Amino acid sequence: MALPWLESIPVWGFEPSVESEASPFPKRFGVLFMACGIHPDHWWAKGTGSGMELGRSLTPLEPLKEKVNVISGLFNKNSTGVGIHPGQTGNILSGASLQKGAELRGGISVDQVLANHLGQETAQPSMVLGCEQPITGYHETNFSMAYSSHISWQNATSPVPMEVYPSLAFDSLFDNRGSRRNKSVLDRVKGHAASLSRQASAGDRSKIDEYLTSVREVEKRIDRLRADQDKALDRAKNRGESVVKMARPDNGLPEDIRDHMRLMCDIIALAFQTDKTRIATLLLCRDISGLFYPFLDVRNAHHSASHHERTDEWERISQYYCSQLAYLASRLDAMPEGDSTVLDNSCLVFVNNMWSGSRHDSTKVPLVTAGCLGGTLKTGRTLDYLKAGDDNRKLCSFYLSIMNRMGLAANQFGDANTPLANL
Amino acid sequence: MSHVIYSDAVLSPCSRRCRRFAVWSVAITTLLGGGVARATLADDPTAKGSELEKQFQNAVLPFLNVYCLDCHGNDDPAAKLDLSGYTSAEKVAKEHQTWAIVLDRLRTGEMPPKDSEPQPTLQQRESVIRWINAARDFEAARNAGDPGPVLARRLSNSEYNFSIRDLTGVDIQPTKTFPVDPANEAGFDNSGESLAMSPALLKKYLEAAREVAEHLVLRPDGIAFAPHSVVTDTDRDKYCVKRIVAFYEKQPSDLADYFFAAWRHQQRLNQVDGNTAAGDATLVAVASENRVSAKYLATVWDLLIDEAPERTVGPVATLQTMWRTLSGDAASVDDARKSCAVMRDFVVELRNKLRPSFPNITVEGSHVGSQTFVLWKNRQYVEHRRKLDVAKLQIEGVADEPDEKSDPKKNGEKKDEEKKDDALPFDEDLLVPADEAERARHAAAFERFCSVFPDAFFISERGRDYVKNEQKQMGEKGRLLSAGFHSMMGYFRDDGPLYDMILDEAGQRELDGLWQELDFVTSAPMRQYEGFLWFERTDSRYMRDPQFDFARPEDKAALSEEMIEKLADVYLEKAALNGGGEVELEAIRHYFREINRQIRWVEQARVDAEASHLDAIIEFAGRAFRRRLSTTEREELVAFYRALRIDDGLSHEEAIQDTLVSVLMSPLFCYRVDLLEIGSGRRSLTDDELACRLSYFLWSSTPDAELMKLAAAGTLRQREVLSAQVQRMLQDDRVRGLATEFVGNWLDFRRFEEHNSVDRNRFPEFTDSLRQAMFEEPVRFFMDVAQQDRSVLQFLDGRHTFVNAELARHYGIPVSQQVGIPRTTIATSAEGDVGQADPRIWIRIDDASEYGRGGLLPMSVFLTKNAPGLRTSPVKRGYWVVRRLLGERIPPPPPNVPELPEDESKLGDLTLREALAKHRENVACAGCHERIDSIGLAFEGFGPVGERRDLDLGGRPIDANAVFPGGTAGQGVEDLRKYLMTHRREEFVDNLIRKLVSYALGRSLILPDELLIRDLHEKLKTDNYRFGSLVENIVTSTQFFNKRGSNYLARE
Repeated sequence: MALPWLESIPVWGFEPSVESEASPFPKRFGVLFMACGIHPDHWWAKGTGSGMELGRSLTPLEPLKEKVNVISGLFNKNSTGVGIHPGQTGNILSGASLQKGAELRGGISVDQVLANHLGQETAQPSMVLGCEQPITGYHETNFSMAYSSHISWQNATSPVPMEVYPSLAFDSLFDNRGSRRNKSVLDRVKGHAASLSRQASAGDRSKIDEYLTSVREVEKRIDRLRADQDKALDRAKNRGESVVKMARPDNGLPEDIRDHMRLMCDIIALAFQTDKTRIATLLLCRDISGLFYPFLDVRNAHHSASHHERTDEWERISQYYCSQLAYLASRLDAMPEGDSTVLDNSCLVFVNNMWSGSRHDSTKVPLVTAGCLGGTLKTGRTLDYLKAGDDNRKLCSFYLSIMNRMGLAANQFGDANTPLANL
Repeated sequence: MSHVIYSDAVLSPCSRRCRRFAVWSVAITTLLGGGVARATLADDPTAKGSELEKQFQNAVLPFLNVYCLDCHGNDDPAAKLDLSGYTSAEKVAKEHQTWAIVLDRLRTGEMPPKDSEPQPTLQQRESVIRWINAARDFEAARNAGDPGPVLARRLSNSEYNFSIRDLTGVDIQPTKTFPVDPANEAGFDNSGESLAMSPALLKKYLEAAREVAEHLVLRPDGIAFAPHSVVTDTDRDKYCVKRIVAFYEKQPSDLADYFFAAWRHQQRLNQVDGNTAAGDATLVAVASENRVSAKYLATVWDLLIDEAPERTVGPVATLQTMWRTLSGDAASVDDARKSCAVMRDFVVELRNKLRPSFPNITVEGSHVGSQTFVLWKNRQYVEHRRKLDVAKLQIEGVADEPDEKSDPKKNGEKKDEEKKDDALPFDEDLLVPADEAERARHAAAFERFCSVFPDAFFISERGRDYVKNEQKQMGEKGRLLSAGFHSMMGYFRDDGPLYDMILDEAGQRELDGLWQELDFVTSAPMRQYEGFLWFERTDSRYMRDPQFDFARPEDKAALSEEMIEKLADVYLEKAALNGGGEVELEAIRHYFREINRQIRWVEQARVDAEASHLDAIIEFAGRAFRRRLSTTEREELVAFYRALRIDDGLSHEEAIQDTLVSVLMSPLFCYRVDLLEIGSGRRSLTDDELACRLSYFLWSSTPDAELMKLAAAGTLRQREVLSAQVQRMLQDDRVRGLATEFVGNWLDFRRFEEHNSVDRNRFPEFTDSLRQAMFEEPVRFFMDVAQQDRSVLQFLDGRHTFVNAELARHYGIPVSQQVGIPRTTIATSAEGDVGQADPRIWIRIDDASEYGRGGLLPMSVFLTKNAPGLRTSPVKRGYWVVRRLLGERIPPPPPNVPELPEDESKLGDLTLREALAKHRENVACAGCHERIDSIGLAFEGFGPVGERRDLDLGGRPIDANAVFPGGTAGQGVEDLRKYLMTHRREEFVDNLIRKLVSYALGRSLILPDELLIRDLHEKLKTDNYRFGSLVENIVTSTQFFNKRGSNYLARE
């Protein structure tokens, strides 16, 4: 596991970062996940730029039209023909073939690949958040329900532990728990070394001192890193356009799912703005979700509601989820960064594991991006890959394109060997 | 010169010539006059020293000036050897290793070069040789027994990995991504001379320690380490479930084994009757010999030999008939085994027919796969594992009619459905007489049969039992220990018959512990209940009514006793309203009661276990620090843990993890602090220090419990104890650490597992697994020498070797049968055969010489390592023999020698042999190459991946003839072996001793060690070259047994 704090971070906005020559600002990647499909009749977009027309479920994106892409027709081959739900979900960000039965086996997800490569630059390699607790039983398809609960996987067999408590997610940004824990450890072992050094011969002392110096040096780096982060935080504050004022959320889980989602989006916005992390995934709901939405006047829980996908109820739910993307995107867009905004240096991806909840259809999935990723991703477009042929409409090709644009020279990811054409 | 000079970049010509000062030579001869004989030196060391100094100034220095410094001066010295700085005897003594090379060159007559002018006389040469020897002896004697400077140092990467493996019991290898450790002058990476620390490396140490902590499992009664990281719920599930399933699988639960053991017992009883008792004729003894449970064997035995007529009817009678046939016959063991399998199959088949079935229960609005009712049904199975379902029996005369006498215990309203299931076709095996008394007798026999033979000893896999469709259930196997809920996680324990009938008390305790551990480690009850809360309002609509809104899975408070009871009330109220009968209501009550009890147990157990975790970490720290902890140290650990919890606000688990990380980060673990030069003067090692030094020498790892115990008792230093420990350690499999770290570095194959310079297009047989097998061969060979205490000469002249299937195929050795694959000649068999063999099966080939193997010399790892891809390299192979095996020092080549072509098929008209011969025509090259090439040419019968061959890659016939240094002619490896054994044997032994001593001490050799080397060599000869005696003599040497204190001063 990489330790997040050991390399000094470039203070964004003041030092050019290595991998992005075009823009001095770091590029961020965020995923918002919704499960069980959308309302198929109202999830569409036509035209480009300010002239883009949006289906009813996408109307929350109206003010952001020029900064989003509505992409249709992408899919994961490995999540088709394997049975419904978990097999369609656990690989949404990896494209891996999932194993049924007692042992979990899939593949590393795109966010974790990015975190492994870019995560050392920041306090946290990535944030993996959720608004619904994971579960791990067995689905009737004999896939583990862990696949339904986790979209971020650190390797083929282990999901990334997901934080569902806003208060703890918040703490992870500001407390630097990881580095504080390491400092306590180093402080203690320094004592051991110092007492050994006192007893040792001259030759030995040089070896022990080598160790002591190394410990002190690492401690200094921790301090420097924390100082840098505080500075970054100050700068964000000084621009007067900060969400840093966000108060620490209460302990426990918010009663209202609306509060829960909003807090999680705020935390991601904050983390991106202050460069605590550049990679985030947020599981708004898990697959076979039990969330319910009295405020939308829907009595059925999420999964049951999705089986009636052409109802007004399900349309309201679809639109509500879209509004989460709109909310996070507009938060980021309100944060200036040079002449642009944090959103302009990010790529948010809203993705669903199915198109149709009643038919459990994952032969194409709804996908919307927001932000132009430091000018590397043209926005304001509607793209449809459905007729491009299965080899040319892979989700993993899309992920590969994003990876390349974030500075990873990979030429393969999941089941894709080529980036997505015309993106 | 018209031809190209080739070299493999090993050797150097001596191009410059000495011309000056010819006049001096006469004077030097006079001065030295052969007068520096050892005997002339006075006994007084001071006098001896000044005498040596005088001789140096008078004779050696002028010799250097005249014959050496022209080339080996400070201006671009030849072979990078600068002799100009040696202006006093003292300076020579300080760099005795360089002077060992000078000595060597003078002795072989190689220096000054034959074609240089002037040449010293033989007498001059010998005088200098004598002086160097005298000076070395003098220096050695002055500090005889000096333990030498051994720096406290960090563990090497390998030592770290091995230590972690032995401390945790799992092979995590946290340093596998660390940078490669640098080696010291002797070629080993186990000394303070080369092992340094840096901030970058320290960060990696921190990551490594964190990685180990991710494997930490907190158990109800202590700590353990999982083979994989256990951070997420799914990891924890995997760890605990696997342990339980593994426990089940290793229990003796195959009935055939019990019948067979009973047969054995019967046989023994027969023999006892005939007064030819063989072995202990008790069931307990037979059970233990046959590895079955004594307890259950007695149960089975009682049934088999029961003679009471009122009980021996029906299935019991049938089985007894089979038994009598078996035990009556003087059957062969194989026949008996077969018959026992038939008996087993009879029991299993009949028992399956008697398996009871149970209805699904539910209430209006609930889901049939809900936890409450699935658990109820699971419990029915548990309760009936050893019970007869009377309804399954068929009465003579009415057997083909539907049975009206269904089990009255069954639920009335479900009866119709059940009947349909039960309407089985006529089955003779299930027949009972119509007569009521007879029927009761038969039913009783069936009952007993069912009781002795449960329908299952344990259930380790479960799908969704409530689903009617059998097909669907079939596809669902593989949910280990699962309760079988719809979509929700949950485990269910169903192993009563195993527990009651097979396990002894220790086994029962272990199994109980494993199930407690599952709940404790994975939070299974909490997660199961959260799943319940979610499911009951999604897939099941039961809890969608507003009165249930208070119970949310996201809310931790929902797990409290109060909330569970509150939900139970509301839930039951609805169930009653929805027509739930007493069975359903009780199932619901039972569910809430049990889940609450389980959750409370986990909570309480976690609080109770905290102290044991802390104790376990302290115990771990003692082992990690390789000594007993002082009271203060224990207190400090506890204080650190407390501070983490109170000051830093960490949870118990986090604080334990970080305490562990602090232990692993402490120099007391990751440094060899036992080497610290503490104390004064020269002193013998403490017992703790001795234990560390022994285990890092012989195992490259931390001392085990036995060593620590002896060290604590203060007896390890006793000669006979030490000797027994050395023997034990050499026989232990951890001696593999010595094989990979010592032999691997000595013979330069340590990193062969990463060797990538083979052209795999040309040599497709060189797969990763063959490469691994090649690496393994010398490791196995060495371990055999160490574990069996064989002669070290076997390295050279052994005719045996070790192979697995793939290596055997590479060598053309037919071993298919021994490695578990069909009998075909591996050399000619299809690819597939070897693929099926288990690569972990290694066998010894006693005489491999007919396949051209045996001993170290023809091992493919060395032949491959010393071949540059598409050709062989006699130079590299020869150099490997003289340098690595024999310890000959050969200077580096000059920088401007052209390389041979990469591919031997591109050598043009010349063979490799001819090209090398051309090279040796250059007299400057010949000096070294004559000592190497011929030895390398003896290997020409082996290609670039060590395969035997008759033609080289250019299609030319192989010629493995060679004239070895000294003039012996021979052909191939066989003759090379003879040459080495005849002319170079003691050189080999001397080199091995030097290397092993240097490795054992963890430092380069110093002059005083020369006396030890000589002594060890003598003793080794006396002990028939046994490796064990060499190790023991090293371990008991002054150098090994002592250390310098902080104020130690070597005499200079």
